Amino acid sequence: MISTPVAQDILKILSKNARLPAADMAKMLGVAVTVVEDTMRALEEAEVIVRYTTVVNEQKMPQMKRKIRALIEVGIRPERDRGFDDIARRIAQYPNVVAHYLISGAYDFLLIVEGDSLEEISSFVSDKLASTDNVRSTSTHFIMKKYKEKGILIGEQEVTERLAIMP
Amino acid sequence: MSMMLSRRVRDLPPSGIRKFFDLVVGAKDIISLGVGEPDFATPWTVRSEGVYAIEHGRTSYTSNLGLLACREAISGYLKDRFSVSYNPETEILLTIGVSEAVDIVLRTLLDPGDEVIVPEPSYVCYGPLVQMAGGTVVSVDTSDTGFIPTPDMLQSVVSPRTKALILCSPSNPTGRVIPKETLLELLALAVKHQFWIVADEVYAELVYDVAFTSVASLPGAKDHVILLNGFSKAFAMTGWRLGYLCAPPEVVAQANKIHQYSALCAPIMAQYAAIEAVKNGLSELESMRRSYEHRRNYVVTAFQEMGLSLHVPEGAFYCFPSIRETGLSSEVFAMRLLEEKRVAVVPGSVFGLGGEGHIRCCYAADFDLLKEALSRIAAFVKAL
Ligand SMILES: Cc1ncc(COP(=O)(O)O)c(C=O)c1O
Repeated sequence: MISTPVAQDILKILSKNARLPAADMAKMLGVAVTVVEDTMRALEEAEVIVRYTTVVNEQKMPQMKRKIRALIEVGIRPERDRGFDDIARRIAQYPNVVAHYLISGAYDFLLIVEGDSLEEISSFVSDKLASTDNVRSTSTHFIMKKYKEKGILIGEQEVTERLAIMP
Repeated sequence: MSMMLSRRVRDLPPSGIRKFFDLVVGAKDIISLGVGEPDFATPWTVRSEGVYAIEHGRTSYTSNLGLLACREAISGYLKDRFSVSYNPETEILLTIGVSEAVDIVLRTLLDPGDEVIVPEPSYVCYGPLVQMAGGTVVSVDTSDTGFIPTPDMLQSVVSPRTKALILCSPSNPTGRVIPKETLLELLALAVKHQFWIVADEVYAELVYDVAFTSVASLPGAKDHVILLNGFSKAFAMTGWRLGYLCAPPEVVAQANKIHQYSALCAPIMAQYAAIEAVKNGLSELESMRRSYEHRRNYVVTAFQEMGLSLHVPEGAFYCFPSIRETGLSSEVFAMRLLEEKRVAVVPGSVFGLGGEGHIRCCYAADFDLLKEALSRIAAFVKAL
């Protein structure tokens, strides 16, 4: 059920709007509601859909205490019998780490780290990350502004004016 | 005063859509399903090529036919997508939208009194442009065959003066796509009676769940078909004003004379942007197509649930349900829907024969608004 074309369509639609009612999706795809509901359940159970979250533009909410974010490149000293996955598991566990990728190039891992203050992130890097076994080097880049996330432009949306009636 | 204006222009019927337009334009809080264009902006990669062209001073005229590089790109694109082959040097003319292409093709073909068969309901520009070119419109009502023109219905109106048949598939306003077998028969008719098929395929890329056949791809079509297409609908480029006409070299050469005097050339930045569109815009085209398809499915189901009958549109972004059961004329229906429910649709009567008793709804609208509009239409129909 999770490998059908309908499942792929559902994933595409949900990735744009996870709150679209199953009944609407069923009409869009020309299938029964139960097909959509069963497929979604199957996708969730198989953990293809891991979770439904939100894309937030904190800039629009000045009263909200903003999280500080940083991208951190991490160099790893590989060791016999100890692969990247093993090391990654230790790092990804920290709640400050909101994303963690293995990358090609000069560094091995790319982390996105979140904290309430610069100090929190700095101390995470020096106390936790840099002292983790096999971590050879780190390079931290604080994020100053968010323009796009998950394929969605943040900030001013384009408005196009169209004639309301056209033959 | 009116005596100082052309009889031909004064005789043109005013657009049936005009008074509607005035009503809708002033009003706020209206959801419009009356538009005729994509609800997407042009893909960014295409826009940025247009900007690049402007920034680099590409702001001049081009050759009358259009930039050769653009004609070559279109030639390759047509071959890949629709299996039609046109020589970029002599068989493709870039125009200011398909609109200009329709105009100059008719002026190229027609002598006074020549007849042009227009299957209706049809897009609104064909009839008036035939008249302006001095021709006579021969309208054919296709509503009995699900808006598909058939050889039988055309046979009865073909005359020695028949110069051309206009085919619009996928169709504005009905969304119907003419099947390949029918196209073969229509082409045979054109060959037998020696008239041209002018094929407006501006919606060719927006086809769902059926295979689209370009009439120009059929064997023997080259000498009887003039193919018109453009970037407006497929690549969401309505404002760029770029279309093209593909035909045998002699036709292109003659049409180019009119184009040269009345338009000179198509906008150069649009031509550069178009090269990018066919080169790198196809994946975005596909995601737009999927999005229309989802909305098409939704709209069709919604009308069926309202109990309005319709021929499932296989292409474009229009749905043309029948409102006969309501007992209202299409104009009254549209007017009351606008006043009572603040939803704008286009009355079918403006599209010629066979359009009465229908409304045209464009589903290239934001999904939430579309959904809201449909629930208002449902409430309106229910209360009648
Ligand atoms: C069937 C048809 N042909 C031609 C056009 C005009 O297209 P263009 O923008 O290329 O002039 C339209 C626009 O609505 C249309 O629906």
